[in-house]
Amino acid sequence: MLACPHKDIVVKLKMAKMEWKNQILPILPPRLQHIFAALSGQAAEELEEIRLRSGKALMIHSHRGESFVGLSGVTGSFSQAVIVTAAELQAVLLAVVEYSLYARDEELRRGYLALPGGHRAGFVGRVVSEESRVKLLRDISGISIRIARAVKGAGEALLPQLYCSRLQRVYHTLLVSAPQAGKTTMLRDLARLFSDGDPAKGRPGLKVGIVDERSELAGCYLGVPQLDVGMRSDVLDGCPKAEGMMMLVRSMSPQLLVTDELGRAEDARAVEEAVNTGASILATVHGHCLADLMKRPSIAYLLQQTLFERIIFLSRRRGPGTVEEIYGGETVKNRLKAEASGHVF
Amino acid sequence: MCFKWAGAVLIVMATALWGNQQAVQMQRRVKQLEEFRLAMRLLMAEIGYTVTPLPRALEHVQNRLGDERVKQFFVEIVRQLGRPEVGDASLAWLRASEVSRGQLSLRADDWPLIMRAAAGLGGLGRESQLKQLEAVEIQLASHTASVAASCSRSERMWRYLGVLGGAALVIILL
Repeated sequence: MLACPHKDIVVKLKMAKMEWKNQILPILPPRLQHIFAALSGQAAEELEEIRLRSGKALMIHSHRGESFVGLSGVTGSFSQAVIVTAAELQAVLLAVVEYSLYARDEELRRGYLALPGGHRAGFVGRVVSEESRVKLLRDISGISIRIARAVKGAGEALLPQLYCSRLQRVYHTLLVSAPQAGKTTMLRDLARLFSDGDPAKGRPGLKVGIVDERSELAGCYLGVPQLDVGMRSDVLDGCPKAEGMMMLVRSMSPQLLVTDELGRAEDARAVEEAVNTGASILATVHGHCLADLMKRPSIAYLLQQTLFERIIFLSRRRGPGTVEEIYGGETVKNRLKAEASGHVF
Repeated sequence: MCFKWAGAVLIVMATALWGNQQAVQMQRRVKQLEEFRLAMRLLMAEIGYTVTPLPRALEHVQNRLGDERVKQFFVEIVRQLGRPEVGDASLAWLRASEVSRGQLSLRADDWPLIMRAAAGLGGLGRESQLKQLEAVEIQLASHTASVAASCSRSERMWRYLGVLGGAALVIILL
């Protein structure tokens, strides 16, 4: 494991407190709009997720846990919570798709829609499938609105570990964590920091190419990033990762390629190809530990190839973005070898 | 005598003007039906090619239309979409039809076709939405063609009728 001076330091997540209201309130039906417009204090500042379920209590989540929401705000009692109606869910869906299901049916098929401001709405309901593929999602019964927060400075503590001043390049890096542990926030901030650069500290700005398949990283709306991803960043919004990486390499000659949530075999192939073009890779993947990653063939392949020079494990042990461990690629390889030969590492 | 002749001329002029007005109204009806057809085609392009959401697609459509009143119809839909109590595009289209009814030169038998475009608007997948609008456009095309054919016959008739009606009235009064 590499020296990790900040191992016990929680990356300071200075929450962009109430910005979400400007983007989320317009998509809510009048009753919910009033409730959330009046939401204030800690509940509003730390809001991470709004859960709407048909015929069920309105709930919100933050890193402190879940709470019920009543007409007068957060309530500890289930009986005082507002009950969300099916009509309200339908109204949210129509507002999110701007009254045009045809414009977002591809995304909806995958179960989520990007919202202005980089937020995201996930949907569940009745799935209509055709030839074993999801054709459409109808009778929406639940919506989860995840609040995106650009936390400027979240990645600063990691910079010395990720940037090679001698070669003036970023190490190929993989950020690993379970969902909601802050890896996308960290990735976005690292993209911004590398894109803007800091010449005074010997770190020039880099051309950063971002493949934002799920519109979460840059939070593009009408193709324009809503979140700060740096002055030299080019964003391919809504583009499949593997295809997007190659498109960026061919068209924008990035020095750093950034993408979220690797997983498929074609993603691994694209990463391998992109590395061979000379671009650095900064990516994330879901997982709790190395063993989790090894269960996924495409990620396991990349790790065995020692393609990633830095592997960073995040958790929300002390708040989202807690850096647990930073490994060098060789360390991972040695560890994998040791595990394979039965030695406890 | 002089007054009689002046009155007769005024009567003939008034009825000729009325006849002409009817003819112009018919021409305007055909023109507006054609504008609606054009709007359908533009909307299909916005949906099929650029996959633009309705509020912006409708704005793009109205920017490319020539007839001010048809343009206003599309402005009205976008305005209705912005009202929280409307809540879906079909209703916004139907409300705009009600608001614009008096301002357009269309007749009662034209409106069911225009309103047919509201069915499922914004609530269908891309292919279904395109098929739906295409069906409306085809119906609108055949309706416009039959209205245009009857218009070219009736147009001349109204103009003659205006002048001849005025002349007949003058003869009766004299």
